[in-house]
Amino acid sequence: MNHAAVRANQRKLVILAVIVLLCAAGFMFYAVNFGNPKLFRYAMKLRTPKLVVMLITAFAIAGASLVFQTIINNVIVTPCLLGMNALYSLIHTAVVFVAGSTSLLATNSNLAFAVDLVLMAIVATIVYSFLFEKTHHNVLYILLIGTVLTSFFSSIQTTMTRIMDPNEYDSLLETLVASFENVNAEVIVASLVVLAAVIFFLRKDLALLDVISLGKDQAINLGVDYDRCIRRLLLSVTLCIAVATAMVGPISFLGLIMANLSRQFLRTYRHSQLILGSTLFGMAILIGGELIVERIYHYAVPISVFIGVFGGLYFLYLLLTNKRV
Amino acid sequence: MMNVKNLIKKYDGKTVVDSVSFDIPKGKVTSLIGPNGAGKSTVMGVISRLISRDGGEVTFQDQDISRWKSKELAKRLAILTQTNNIQMKLTVRELVTFGRFPYSGGRNTKEDEEIIDQALAYMELEDIQDQFIDELSGGQRQRAYIAMVIAQDTEYVLLDEPTNNLDIYHASNMMKIVRRLCDELGKTVILVLHEINYAAFYSDYICAFKDGKICKFGTVEEVMTKENLSEIYKVDFEIMEIEGRPLSIYY
Repeated sequence: MNHAAVRANQRKLVILAVIVLLCAAGFMFYAVNFGNPKLFRYAMKLRTPKLVVMLITAFAIAGASLVFQTIINNVIVTPCLLGMNALYSLIHTAVVFVAGSTSLLATNSNLAFAVDLVLMAIVATIVYSFLFEKTHHNVLYILLIGTVLTSFFSSIQTTMTRIMDPNEYDSLLETLVASFENVNAEVIVASLVVLAAVIFFLRKDLALLDVISLGKDQAINLGVDYDRCIRRLLLSVTLCIAVATAMVGPISFLGLIMANLSRQFLRTYRHSQLILGSTLFGMAILIGGELIVERIYHYAVPISVFIGVFGGLYFLYLLLTNKRV
Repeated sequence: MMNVKNLIKKYDGKTVVDSVSFDIPKGKVTSLIGPNGAGKSTVMGVISRLISRDGGEVTFQDQDISRWKSKELAKRLAILTQTNNIQMKLTVRELVTFGRFPYSGGRNTKEDEEIIDQALAYMELEDIQDQFIDELSGGQRQRAYIAMVIAQDTEYVLLDEPTNNLDIYHASNMMKIVRRLCDELGKTVILVLHEINYAAFYSDYICAFKDGKICKFGTVEEVMTKENLSEIYKVDFEIMEIEGRPLSIYY
């Protein structure tokens, strides 16, 4: 029985993976001129980075959302809803603001990314652990304060851009307002390195996620070094969010959609499967969505609008149907 | 052996546990009773390492619990608290399987599976082992958690108000299970209880708390007297003997 359920889920995951592959193939090869190698290469050059960015983003957001939900033991809240990506945008702006747009920090995108990541890891871990501790993990308080934090961070960021030199603002805009239409492909390698490092160094903590989902008391009872483990997991969440935001900008509801679709589809507690499922859902949504946006709507409506609208509705649906918010 | 010495716990400057000392009798059932806010649940939390303390010692097998490795302690001492809200889709068997985590780290051997089977059988959960926890009744869920504690196979079992939210039938069944944990499986059981008569009928020792201090500690017969109970709860009591055990009447 136990094994039958695991196998059934593996089948579901294979189906999802096939859908993702189909979407990716469609995205890569739709309306490509195969006859002319030059045109073909040009199309590939345009589409490959975008595809890679979407794949990485899906994984980063899926991992971050599920780990975060397990940390605070609630399936409605995601790091983005608590302003974690607003914080990243703020940090990025602040770095350019302080260093100036001509400095090495602003011109070398990998260096800027590294500085952002370090600052993000420090600030976010402090802010959010303090938030959890002060509210005693009360989800409603966390959500309330998180919403306030989101607007707080965005306000500071807006203020900074207002008083910035227009030229500096212009160069900032390029990297800051990353979106699926304008992905920041320069940090792909750095992002992959960061994600690989997170998985490698936190593999033991990630293996404890299943136990942690039983709640703090049970986790301690079963011998988990709870506080230390939670700190490390929170760090991994902030780094994943930073990676995703750096590449495609803030997208609020994506993590929520992916994580909950995966939960409803797989109905398991195993995080290895949940994260994989969530990643595959994210990939399918992003790549499929981008395909529709590019080919049917001809770039008239950005994908973030779709995600925002459907994500918002899905969020309401979850709020109204989930009795244990 | 487990000893508590001069235990102190403060919340926001207010002392809720005030230099509490006692030795937990091995191989017996000990109930912690007392009015609301007397500190009994806090003491339970501290001796099970769920709550940090502000002073004193909790010695478990000649070593302070803060110096134990959490994982090693998890093989010797299990705690079950009142609030167990799981957001995950988890079946009864999967929950019980978590009881083996301190030993297997998630990779169960054949021996682990056998122990899980035994725990499920002991709690008569075999028929519902594939049902999801959140679809069970309160009594069934509590039994599933006890099965997990049994699978954890610890010498000491700590239960924080195991009869909370259960009706009379399920509550008295739970107390019978507690008795069996001690008599049949040889475990030392410590539990926080609100119903004094359950404590009187099913435990060996009673530790009564009042205002963060131990008010009375002794065998059931020693503690369950009219004068003691009136002093602890500030309510008039009558004591009756039923099946050789002192039960209280209050109104």
